[in-house]
Amino acid sequence: MAAAARLAEEWFAICGGCEVTILDIGEPLIDVLKKVEIVHMPVIMDHKLFGQTGENKEMEIPEADVGLISGGIRSEEHKKLALEMRRKCKILISLGSCACFGGIPALNNLYSTEEVLEKVYRDSVSTESNGLPHEQVPSLTDRVYAVHEVVKVDAYLPGCPTTPEMVVGALTSLLEGKPLPPLPTKSVCDECPTRREKKAVSTLKRRFEAPEFTPGAPLSEMRCLMEQGFLCLGPATRAGCSGSDGTPRCIRAYMPCEGCFGPLSEKANPMVDMMGALSSIGLDPKQIPDRAATFNRFAGAGRLRPTPKR
Amino acid sequence: MEDSSLQAGSTAVVPPPVATFHPLIIALCCNWCSYAGADLAGVSRIQYPPSIRMVRVMCSGMVHPNLVIEALTKGADGVLMCGCHPGDCHYQEGNLKAEKRADAIRLMLADFGVEEERFRLEWVSAAEGPRFAQVVREFTEQLQKLGPSPYRQ
Repeated sequence: MAAAARLAEEWFAICGGCEVTILDIGEPLIDVLKKVEIVHMPVIMDHKLFGQTGENKEMEIPEADVGLISGGIRSEEHKKLALEMRRKCKILISLGSCACFGGIPALNNLYSTEEVLEKVYRDSVSTESNGLPHEQVPSLTDRVYAVHEVVKVDAYLPGCPTTPEMVVGALTSLLEGKPLPPLPTKSVCDECPTRREKKAVSTLKRRFEAPEFTPGAPLSEMRCLMEQGFLCLGPATRAGCSGSDGTPRCIRAYMPCEGCFGPLSEKANPMVDMMGALSSIGLDPKQIPDRAATFNRFAGAGRLRPTPKR
Repeated sequence: MEDSSLQAGSTAVVPPPVATFHPLIIALCCNWCSYAGADLAGVSRIQYPPSIRMVRVMCSGMVHPNLVIEALTKGADGVLMCGCHPGDCHYQEGNLKAEKRADAIRLMLADFGVEEERFRLEWVSAAEGPRFAQVVREFTEQLQKLGPSPYRQ
């Protein structure tokens, strides 16, 4: 047997859901683990960054063949670790939407760092107003960055969380020395089985109102959720979440797409795309609540910024 | 003829005032009405400020908000979108689509920190050469008052 491939994983501004996805791989994980040696992964193993007894001055990650990074970059520590990961890993992969496009933490980018700190440590009603933490904590970056905005990334596994199928597919391809398949260029709508009748939306339904469908009937008999009045990000979101099932994940659960697979291209601006599409089919654009955050829910790094003062 | 320097027989050339700000306007004109209207303004030799860069599109209804936002965030001082009068659209309702999108565009301009006044939607028919010139004149003056785009380097 060839020597096991060395895997390093690091997490930044993230909830930890993408690490759970790795666990969620299930039985195929046993086969993958036989061929992989995990050398660094804070969530499951005790490998300390400054040496096991804290003897080092600089953060260090062991050499690895494959590096996974989940989470966006929010602090100077994240930035340093990302650079260290890049130095030590031959192949670096962004795992999950936060690493790929900033994800939920990047909604912070709608406000300046000062505003965010003020809100969290002083303003919020449930907070006992206190000073800002300043000792032994890394300072925040000016905004939330996606990993590829700081270091070169070789592959992306988007999704909130990403799918076990994609993770195991990527790891298996890498172990076999094959290149990773490129991300699809189609939109979620291209894979959506629901029935489209007439392009028209006049009033929006609230997110947690129930769509009309017959329980048990195939999804191809349900009317397109957008046409039913739900804000569905399908038209401006990259396909790929459906995997071998063939049906987008949220649609499978009778929920509109939230856009976690990110925009259709690097340059795309989902807010402008969606606002244009929705207004041209008859929806009053003022009805759309919080358009910037709604349409950039997962893609805030590099797209969201504080509303300029006039 | 507004500019006296261009009147027949006049030899004096009046240089443009140096300090005036010359805005850059991207004009998106539909093939069937507005572009023909602009053409008419041209062949009728109606004078208007040289501030526009015209893009001919088949219909104002095909102008995606992306194009407008991109022009304004890349340094254009204004975007003028021209289409046929409502009811006259060559494609029946393209201009109505444009009108609906215009509302969304105005909303989003605020998100990008661009003044709403930098975007204009106007109806110009193929017979309205003078009106086209008038629109460009008014828009140019308005932009001169507003000053350069916040995105202009």
